Order: sequence, then C-alpha cells, then structure tokens
Amino acid sequence: MWNVSGVRPLAPLGAALLAACAGNGAGLDANGQPIGAGGAPPPPLTADFKSIQDDILTPICTHCHSGAAAPEGLELDAAHSYALLVGVPSNEDPGRLRVKPGSPDASYLVLKLEGSPGIVGAQMPFGAPALPRATIDVVRQWITNGAPPAATGSTAAVGSAAVASPDSTSFAVTAISPRDHSRLSGPPRQIVVAFSHEVDASLLNETTLRLEIVAADGAPPVALSARLAEGNPSVVLLTPQRALGPGGYRLILRGSGGGLADVNAQSLDVDYRSEFTVQGAP
Amino acid sequence: MSARLAPLACFSLAFGWLLAAASAHAEPYLALTQGAKCSQCHVNPTGGGLRNAFGDVFAQTQLPARHIDTGTDIWAGQIARFLALGGDLRFDGSVQHVPHTRTLDGFQMQQTRVYLAASVIPDRLLVYVDEQVAPGGALNREAWGMLWSADHSWYLKGGQMYLPFGLRLQDQTALVRQASGISMATPDQGVEVGWLKGHWDGQLAVSNGTAGGAATTSGKQTSAQLAFVEPSWRLGAAVNYNGAAAEGSRRAAGVFGGLKTGPVVWLGEADLIDDRSLGNGGVKMLATLAEGDWALARGHNLKITAEYLDPNRRVPHDQQTRWSLLYELTPVQFVQLRAGVRYSDGIPQLASEHTRLYFLELHGFF
Repeated sequence: MWNVSGVRPLAPLGAALLAACAGNGAGLDANGQPIGAGGAPPPPLTADFKSIQDDILTPICTHCHSGAAAPEGLELDAAHSYALLVGVPSNEDPGRLRVKPGSPDASYLVLKLEGSPGIVGAQMPFGAPALPRATIDVVRQWITNGAPPAATGSTAAVGSAAVASPDSTSFAVTAISPRDHSRLSGPPRQIVVAFSHEVDASLLNETTLRLEIVAADGAPPVALSARLAEGNPSVVLLTPQRALGPGGYRLILRGSGGGLADVNAQSLDVDYRSEFTVQGAP
Repeated sequence: MSARLAPLACFSLAFGWLLAAASAHAEPYLALTQGAKCSQCHVNPTGGGLRNAFGDVFAQTQLPARHIDTGTDIWAGQIARFLALGGDLRFDGSVQHVPHTRTLDGFQMQQTRVYLAASVIPDRLLVYVDEQVAPGGALNREAWGMLWSADHSWYLKGGQMYLPFGLRLQDQTALVRQASGISMATPDQGVEVGWLKGHWDGQLAVSNGTAGGAATTSGKQTSAQLAFVEPSWRLGAAVNYNGAAAEGSRRAAGVFGGLKTGPVVWLGEADLIDDRSLGNGGVKMLATLAEGDWALARGHNLKITAEYLDPNRRVPHDQQTRWSLLYELTPVQFVQLRAGVRYSDGIPQLASEHTRLYFLELHGFF
C-alpha cells in the first residue's frame, strides 16, 4: 500500500511555490509587453485596434476575408474590419456578436480564434496554425477594454479605402456589406452600413431606409428592422424581415430632406444607393 | 535562480508536488491504469474517438461505479456485421469570472460527436468518420481510411485526421494543446504511417499544415512521435514542423509520459514551440502540463492538473499558470458527471489571464 501520510504537509507548500510561477508582470506594460527598449525588442502586438489590424487581421485574416466574396461577408481589411466586427451579430451564430465590447468570452471572434466547442465551422485562422495564446490574449484584452476603434485613422471603420472619401467633418457612408454590385450565393442575414460619424438613431425608419426589389416596379419595399451596432454607434444594422429570394435588391439611404443625419444634425446631403444580387440555386 | 532555469524548476515543482500531494490526490490516464496503448480501446491507434469492442466492454464493466445488468445485450458498437457506431455528448453548465468583467453563466452544449467505422476488409482496411453534429451545423473532425499490415504492426492512414503530438487530452483548452496548436480541434489532411511493435508505438504524419483547410502554399506539416509503453509507465517524444504558413514556419518539440503508483496515475508533458508563422520575428514558447488522477473507487476519479505557459521566452515575468481540480463520477455505464474548477493566473496587467471557471458537465458516451 502506498503510504502518503508523511508527505501530506508538503502539498500546500508545493501549491504555493507553483502558484508563484505565474509572471508578476514586472517590466511589462498594460498589454503585457516589455516597457522601453532595453533587452530584446518588444513584440509589435498591443491591445489596440490599430495593432490588431496591422499584426493579425491584415497579414493573416485578409488572405480569405477580403473582397466581395469574403466568407460570411466579413471583410477584415482596414477599411471594413471595425465596422463589420464590433457590435455586429455573427452570420454563423446570430445570437452572438462578433465582438461584444467588454465581454471577450461572449465575442464570437474570440471563440473562433480559440476553437471553442460552441462555434459553427472551423477554428480560425482557417487553413493556418491557431494563433498563439498570447496573441489571442491581446485580442481579449482589447475587447475587455471596450473594443475601442483605432486611435488614428488608418484602421477605423472610416478608413481610407471606404465607399466614400469624406473629409473629416462630413457625414457619409464609409463601408457597406454586402458590397455595392456584389452577387451573393444566398440571402444575407443583415446589411451593415458604416458611417463616418455616430448616427442619430431616431432617424432610422422606413422613410430613410428602403430596400427595394430591382425590376419589380410597384412592388412594396422589403420590410427592414434597423438598429445601431452595440458599442459601435456609427454602424447601422439592417435586418430584412423575411429571407430575400433570388433577384436584385437596391438599398436606398435617404439623405436630404429629413434623411439620415449624425448626432450633430449633419445630414447625408444626398441619397445613397447600393445594389446587390441574391443568386438562385444552381 | 536564472530565468532560463526557472521554467524547468516550475515544471519540476509541479510534478513533484503532484507526486507528493497524493492526499489531495483525456483520457490518457485510462490507458495508463491498464498499462495499455491507445489502440487497446480505440479504433484509432493514436487514441480518441470511436471505441473498439474492448473499449466498449471496458467502459461498461470497469469504468462505472455500478453496472446496470443488461443480460446478454451488451453494447459493443456493432450495428451491422461490418459497421460500428459510437458517440460522445458533452453538455455543461458553467460560471466564468474574469476580473472587471461581468460574470458569465449558462448552459452550453459543448459537443455531440458521432463516429462511424466500416471494416470493409475485416482487420485490414477501415474507413472511419468522426462528425461533430452539435452545436451548430455538422462539422467533420476526422475522415480517413486505414490499411493495416497482416500482423498489425504497421498501418497507413490517409485523409483528415488528428495529428500525433503528445498526450491526446480530452481538454482541448489545455495550455500544451493551445501552445502546440495540435489538438482534436485542429485535424489536418494528410497521410500517417504508424508502427506498433511490442513496447513501441510510433507515428509519422505529413499533412497540409492548414488545420483541415485547403493547401495554400507548397509547405507541409510533418509530425512524428515515438513512445515506449510499459505496464506501469511510458515515455515519449514528439516533434512537429509546419512550413505551410505564408509568413514563416512553426516548430514544436515535446516530451510526455506517465507513471502509475498504486491508485494514482501521473501524466506529464513539456513542449517547446518556436513560432515564426506570424512574421513578427518569432516567438519561443514553453508549455507544460502535469496531471494526477486518483481512482478513489470504481467510478470515482479525482483529477488535478497544473499547467504552465511561458508565451514568449524572451520576455521575463509574463508566465501564465492554470490549475484544474475535477471530480469525475461514472455512476453507471455510458454516463459520466464531471464537476470542476479551473483557476488561471498570469500577469496582473491582463485581467483575461485571471479567469475562474466552475463547471458541471454531463458526458454521455457509447
């Protein structure tokens, strides 16, 4: 019989010693990266969206998630990523937001990166090794911090490659998904429209937002529900109230004359139109 | 103590503490309790997934605290002369707390998986599918064909498969599985040659290195492991090289083993990873795991796990640890209840490294 009574007092001591093996964080900044330039060069990744865009999304994710045919309509280039991630429901799991500000464990992006059992489809990045734990932890920390946009313009939802090229003060559409003139293999669950400024939610109604069926003159527009993305008030989420059948659709955002405006009452000035086609079964 | 020696000291402490803490006293531990290889109970020689007839009978007669007598109707997986069926269901309720964030609690279907194997040439050629059917849509985990040599000392496998590297743990979130990037959540498409002779158990696999996705570069992933299995202990080593990433390669090497001391089984693994796939100059990681499983009585198992991760060996003071304490009760055949707590610790700056997870899981299997 294995006599263990003599070593029992060692257990708490061992536990205490091992617990001390977690890093104390000395010499590291709020993102767990080395402070200053001494010693080895610090890794480039930090818990801000510009770093996440430049070090993860652009070099890794945009291999697939870019262009009109991006999987799940999720374009992760600098012009679209923030608008399509933060506060936007996942296509695969509509009950979860891709990024839920403040809640990394409830963010589908994190679940996909970690390959959590509850995800639909494969772990990301698809077709590549899983990201290191430390890299995912930085994404988690950015979300825990509220998932703020990039401090400088290059990676914000209103990026330079957006639909419009507004100056810094005008209110304009900067990104849209599905893209203008895109062809979809199936009906979109939602239409995501990003603006350059925070949108006045009180102006979201059936007059300012219309989804028409192309080549169906006289047909009533498709009913939409509209709301701002959680934690990302410059993005409007439009959900068709019925599945869109095969055919062409035109989204019209009314600008002038009581149209959409930002919270400072700057209007779109002109109507904005975007079209997409839902393809039928082959 | 130098920074270079600190991780090894931590691992030694962890393993040493587990050896000393018998009072606190994947299922690789089950293989160790029997002194057997994975292939003793699973149709996959590297473990996991569908159980063979021996595994099914073992699960009904040796695992549960009480065996409900079914007379001569014993489930052995056979649904037809050449077809075998199996499955796993894991459903849990959990509470997760991260400092400065709202506590999350809820029920979740972790996974339901169905296994199907066709012995198209009995004892020689097997076609196998492992399909996750919930939650969400169906997701293929494994799908391969395997040809055995006549004496079952060699096999050739081709298709989508889990890669051989280290302990095939049930917990896919274990730090050694996350850091190495090789787990049952990251099957890959390729071929594998296996060698099982006497005490030796070895595999060599060449795959796309894309975690099941289509090949995007000409680079490939090579995985190899070799283990020596004795009735009361085992020791193995594994290496992996993935040259498929566009930005650079990823290499990993590990040692793993186990020891049976009376009612307690010990498992350990230590992996070194050199990840240059992110194109950021490379990150060298060290991940370790030490696990103790104490069979309190038939159907009752107490599991304690100590894990360590140095996510960047060039950066001091950034290490993470994770402790798990689980009680596993198998009251009757095919049903297991698992209650546990996981305690993660890391640097004070990152709240996400200080997660507390409490869970109760229902695990059904056949």
